This record gives sequence, structure tokens and C-alpha cells, in this order.
Amino acid sequence: MRENMKRPLNLGMDRFSGLYLWALFIIVFSIWSPSLFSTTSTVHSIADGQAVPAIIAVALLLPLAANAYDLSVGATANLTAIVAVSLQTASHASMVVSIIIGILCGTAIGVINGFIVVKLRVNSFIATLGMGSVIAAGQTIVSGNNQPLPPISTTWSNLTSTTVLGFQIVFVYMLIIAVVVWWVMAHTPAGRYLYATGSNTEAARLSGVKVGKWVWLSLIGSGTLAGLGGVMYGSLLGPSLTFGQTLLLPAFAAAFLGSTQLIPGRFNVWGTVLAIFVLATGVQGFSDITSVQWLSDMFDGVALITAVAFAVWRQQSAPSRRQHPDSHNQNDPTPPRAVEEEYQSLPNVGDASGDG
Amino acid sequence: MSAPGQIEDPMTPGEDVANPPALSARGVGKTFPGSRALIGLDLDIAPGEIRALLGANGSGKSTFIKILSGFHRPDPGAEVEIGGAALEFGDPSACHVLGGRFVHQDLALINDSSILDNLSFGEGFPTRMGSILSRSARQAASESLDQVGLDLDPLTLVRDLAPAEKTGVAVARALRETRETPVRLLVLDEPTATLPAPEVRRLLDIVRRVAARGVGVLYVTHRLDEVFQVARTATVLRNGREVITAAVAGLTRGQLVHYLVGSELDEAHREAAALADEADAANTVLSIRDLRAGSLHGVSLEIAAGSVVGVSGVTGSGREFLLPAIFGAAKREGGEVSVDGSTLAPFRPSEAIRRGAIFLPADRKLLGGLMDMTARENLTLSSIAEFWKFPMIRRKTERTDVRQWFDRLQIQPPQGLEQTLLTFSGGNQQKVLFAKWLRLNPKLLLLDEPTQGVDVGAKAEIHHQILTAAAAGAAVLVCSSDIDELVALCSRIVVVRDGHIAADMTGADITVAKVSAETITSQAEHALT
Repeated sequence: MRENMKRPLNLGMDRFSGLYLWALFIIVFSIWSPSLFSTTSTVHSIADGQAVPAIIAVALLLPLAANAYDLSVGATANLTAIVAVSLQTASHASMVVSIIIGILCGTAIGVINGFIVVKLRVNSFIATLGMGSVIAAGQTIVSGNNQPLPPISTTWSNLTSTTVLGFQIVFVYMLIIAVVVWWVMAHTPAGRYLYATGSNTEAARLSGVKVGKWVWLSLIGSGTLAGLGGVMYGSLLGPSLTFGQTLLLPAFAAAFLGSTQLIPGRFNVWGTVLAIFVLATGVQGFSDITSVQWLSDMFDGVALITAVAFAVWRQQSAPSRRQHPDSHNQNDPTPPRAVEEEYQSLPNVGDASGDG
Repeated sequence: MSAPGQIEDPMTPGEDVANPPALSARGVGKTFPGSRALIGLDLDIAPGEIRALLGANGSGKSTFIKILSGFHRPDPGAEVEIGGAALEFGDPSACHVLGGRFVHQDLALINDSSILDNLSFGEGFPTRMGSILSRSARQAASESLDQVGLDLDPLTLVRDLAPAEKTGVAVARALRETRETPVRLLVLDEPTATLPAPEVRRLLDIVRRVAARGVGVLYVTHRLDEVFQVARTATVLRNGREVITAAVAGLTRGQLVHYLVGSELDEAHREAAALADEADAANTVLSIRDLRAGSLHGVSLEIAAGSVVGVSGVTGSGREFLLPAIFGAAKREGGEVSVDGSTLAPFRPSEAIRRGAIFLPADRKLLGGLMDMTARENLTLSSIAEFWKFPMIRRKTERTDVRQWFDRLQIQPPQGLEQTLLTFSGGNQQKVLFAKWLRLNPKLLLLDEPTQGVDVGAKAEIHHQILTAAAAGAAVLVCSSDIDELVALCSRIVVVRDGHIAADMTGADITVAKVSAETITSQAEHALT
């Protein structure tokens, strides 16, 4: 990350606007409702409550970096939670086995997503949207639409709710996952290939990047991490049949908001984690003041739209080339072609996903 | 310029006050930072006249068209009138209002829609209370098609049309008149570049028909045959200046070629010539057998280590498919490619790179660079594994290495390692991408328009790097529409025409005049000589 600090551009407010906003929330709410808001229990409840959503958001970053969407993460998390719990209560499998099988369900979903996107060349948005629905059906098959009973053993719930320095350990798990994903994305060739694929798939392919492989792996990564997150949710709060879908939008909001922070223009782990906690702090602060039910939905929706609008605006106001007046797609966010000498007509290049 | 057949003022424009010239340009120039793209051009087109505009890449013809279309603003002092009314510069709609119309090479038709819809998207459908009046829309469309001599059902999908018919529809759309002004001027920008020969004839008929209605036509082309078939007058540009304007009837093909390319560059390939002696003819690096891809049908070629081989061909000849098909950027339909004796699987760039081949695509923005990633990330993308030592990419080593390449290729700004590629100038972007490949010590360099849109300084640096790589034993295949460049660089030039290699030239044959003649000759004409 250090080299990004040295970038001559973007030293201003925009990169750290999330931090400023966070500070603002904390100050305002501390003054507004000091007895409720500015307590250590608020800190703990935000940290613990946002751990699983943060894991899901971080999972999303892998495919997003490669310009692929994984809309099935919510459903995946939900399914793995139900699987991991049902195996213990209904099938009396051991806890470890149940957890491993639960996570592997997530991995398997990632493998299938990858197959559909890379081999069948279905747009990732459509592929994973459909897969989310298929998974929901699978979950109903597994559970019979009855919420399974949580395992009686306290080991199961202690797995995530043991406290460390006042935080539930699930928060620590989240940090570990974030560090690992950050390491992959920022410090390994894999990360470089993912970003290259997302930046310009065909150029990356022509540079020798096996773009199909990396998109596939990114979806396996997001599926696996979503599975992990789901299992933790099942341990932390018990096996709900519906929590998955509620995680999806906040995760996207955080990922896109995160892409405007710290390393603007790039999906990045710490920006995303920051975004999750800024949003959660805002929601928490307001709910200490009022008791309306719609705050969190409103926050996430507005944050998602604002983040994307901001990213588009940034792209347009960047010192880019002039827009070609007779280009057909004025909304195309890709940089316009060279101004001079466009006499070369493009040879018909093949589909990007061929080299897998 | 005292060539026979030159007519100084072929049309005596403006003699008829009631019938002003379709286009009248005076003193049009354009200066870009570091280069003068167009210098003091005067150009008049009478109503009904078809004027051919010729010139190599970089001669200024695209700049002129972009000034007319409002994309570029000319240097102060320029005056342009369309149909007698002054054109306001820098406004994309100004020319349209005055009756000037453009058909660009890519036509901008929507393939999945009908002719009728395509014709109506611009001007709108006739409606009553918000509903489209389909019968009158269809009738209007038929009339438009009739004007260009196309007898087509307006409900046909554009996708199902022959290439010349598509261009015809684009012309018909351009000619649709607004209520206020009749169409005065039609600019056709290389309309035949991608058309096969019989289709060209149909298109030329359409152009004649349009001119017969009194519309002035500015016809930009690379193909000399068409100039003689359709144009009444021709203007040749070179290096931003008008070389000649003359009636076509008084010109010979030889003169036209001479005006196009001049003769001042015949000695420029000294460095390359010295290299030719070192070429290791016994050591074949690239061997292609019966390659078929796109409009290439059956190309065979062998290239020796240490040689720089040029590929020339007009757009549409199949030239633009050659390098992508070799490398695996585009699909191959048949044939075999091997590098250093091992066969390259089709459509597998990563494998081609492993075998020592690299490819610099012609389209830097779409295929070459990762514009929103940093110069450093672009430069090391293909060799990042080198810097990986568990658990981290060695960022410091990487940066030191990138800095060396910045030095070696004189990339500006020298401290720009962490800036996005987008912020670099075209020439420096190209140098970054070139450095990415040179890092790999390639055995085979496939370079597609390596200096397109590149400033003069960067061009010289890139040429130097190409020759250095060859001197170190690499085989280089350079595809360029700039024949001057090929002649300066190459010890051997192959000419692609109609999908196969029509000429393979070495030694004394490599002059701009001879290569140009081979490149722009049509096949039919070649059979006669």
C-alpha cells in the first residue's frame, strides 16, 4: 500500500473522505447522545455485528477486481449456514466435518459459477443472479423450509462468540480474512492478474494473462469466503433461513464505496472494511436517536448509488483524452480512442474468455 | 509542381452566385502540441463535383475532416463555407445544419435493427400523437433508398445486407434532409476500405448518383483505382500540405503515386541495411504455412533471426489480420504457425509468449494498455512472476527495474512510474508497452502499427529499439500502413493484397515508390502488367 501513498494525484479529501465522515459521525453522535452512543459497548456491538457482512464484502472484491460480479454470495452464505447446522443437528455429524462441508458447498458454488461465466460465457451478472435463485431453491430442498434447530453444544456458538479484549472472536476472524485477501490482491501476482483482467480483459489476455482462469478462481474465492462467512453467521446468530439476501446489498455498497477510498478507482480491502464500519456507525448513531426501522436500508442504498455516481464522476473529471464526438456510446466509461489517425480498422478479435 | 496534366483551377468555383460551391475552405491549418498536422489548406468543391482526397497516414486528411465535422478547431485564420454559409468551428452540429454530411468508415449502423429504423434514428419517426406512422415512415425510407439507387425492403435487417448495401444505407441516412437546408456536401471517409471488389463498384454507383443530384462529394480513399473511376478532381496531401489539386483526367497513376509519397526517403534505411548483412538466414525463427484468418486466405512466410520484415497492404487487404492471427490474438481458420520449430496453438497468447513471441497491437487503447493501471503495473504485467518471492512481490526490485526501462526508452515523464497509463502521451504509452515486451527478451516481435499516433521523437526511439532487438538476434515482423516507415526499417517487405502475399521484396526493390505501387495496385490491374 505504501507506494500508493506516494501518488502525486489524489492527496486531497477524496481518498480519505470516509475517515473524515467516520470522525464526523463519531463526534456528532457523541455529543448528541453521549449516554447511548459513546460507550465501549457501542464499539463492540458495531465491530461484532459487522464482522460477517464485512467478510461477505471482502469476498466480493476478488471477482469485482476482475470485473466479474458475484450476486450469489448472499445465498451461498445462507446455504452454508443451513448445511453446517443441519448436518450437526439432523445428521449428527461432527462439528468439524459439518463446517468443512459447509465451506466446501461455497467452494463448489464458486466452481459452478466460474464454469458458467468462463466456459459457457454467460455474463457474470446474469450467471450469479440465476445461481442465487438456484441456491435458494437448494436451501429449501435441504431444510424443507423449516428453520433447523441450532446445535445444543456451546462449542458451536463459542466458536465465534468467545470474547477477546471485549470483541467477539468473529471480529478477529474477519480481520484475518481481510489481511489474507489484502495480501493476495496487493502483494501477489494473482492480485496483479485480477486487476489487469478487470482493467482491460482483452489487453490482459494479449499480455499473457490467463483471464479465464483468474475470473474462475476469483469466483471460487468469493464462493469459499461467502461459505466461511455463512458458517460463522450460523454459529454467531443461529441458522436463519433468510439472512443471506440481506447481506448482499450492504456488501456491494461497501465494496463500491470502498473503491472510492484509500486507493480511489480500485476495489481494495481496507477501503471496503472502512466503508462497512462508517456505514454501520452512521446507522448505529441514528438508531440511538430515533427508532425508525428503515435506517439501515436507506443508508446502504444511498451509499451504493452515491459511491458509484462518485466513481463515474471521478473518471470523467480525470485528466483524460477528449471525447470523440462521433463515438456511438457516449456513456461508455472506457477512455476514448486516440485523437489522431484512426485509420486502422480493428481486426475481429476473439472472445476474451478463450484463453483459460 | 509542373507535372503534365496539372490544372491549377479546374472548376473555377463561385462563378455562379445562385449556386455556391458545396465546400470552400481557405487557409485551414491545425497545430497540435509538437506538430503541425495541417498547413494552410485551400480546397473548393463545386456542387456535383466528386473530389478525391488522398494522402498517407499523418498527411493531414483526417485532421481536415475532423475540422469540418467540428471535432477539431482549426488554427486562427481559417475560413470554411458550406453551400455559401460560413461554418462555425468546434461545434459538431454546425456542419450538419449547413448541409454537410459525413459517412465514416465504421458506418455507425445498428446491425440488429431494420433499414427503416436505422434511417429514422437520426431525424426521428413521423408520428401522430406519439404513435409511429409506419406507412409514411416506410414510404419515406423507400424514397431515401431510391435516391442512392438501392432497391431494398426498408424492413430488412441491416445485418442481412451486403457490405456495399450497408454503406449505401449509411449514405442514404446521411442524405436525409432536414426541413431547413438541402444537403450540400457529403464526406465519405474511406468508404471502400473493407469492401471486396464487386461491392466497390456498387458503392461507386451510389456515389455518382449522389453527385448527380448536385451534392459536392469529398471522397477520402487509399485506393488509386477508385480515384480514376469515380472522381472528377483529386487533392493530394503530404505532411500536412497540399501537394497538388488537379483534374483526374489529366493525371496518370504514376504521377499520383509520386505526389503521394515523394521520393525523399529512399536512403533512410542505412542502419537497417547494415543489419541486413547480419541476418542469420539459416536460422528461421517464424514459419507460417497456409495461414487463413479473417480475409487472409493462405499466407506462407518464413522469417530469419536478426531480420526486420515489413508487411504492407491497404486496409481491407487482410494485412490487419496477419499479426493477430500469428500471435493468437485473433482466431485462425487454418494453417500452421511455428516459432523456433515449435508449433503455436491458435488463440493462445500466453503460449505464444512462452515460446518467445510478443505482439504489440495496433489499437493501444482497446488492446494494448491497461489505461487505468500504473505504468509500472503495465510494464511488468507479463513478467511479474520474476519479482515474486514468497510472501510478496518485491516492490523495490520491481520499481528499480521499471526505472531502468524508463531510462532506456526515454519515457516521459521519468518520474511517472506510479501514474496511470492514461496520463501519458500516446508515444510514451507505446514506449511503456514496448518496454513490457522487451523485458522478456523476445525471439519474435510482432509489431502492428508500432508508431501509430506517436510523436516524432518517440517514433525514432521505437525504431531504434526495433533495430536493436533485431541486432540482438530477434526476428521482427512490422505491419504498418506508413510505407516510409517500412522502407526505413525493413530489409524485406511483403505486400498483402486480396488476402495473400502478392509481392516479396528485398534489396534494391525496397523503395517507397515500388512498395507503394505494389501496395495500392488492384489485383485486376496487376494481371495486365
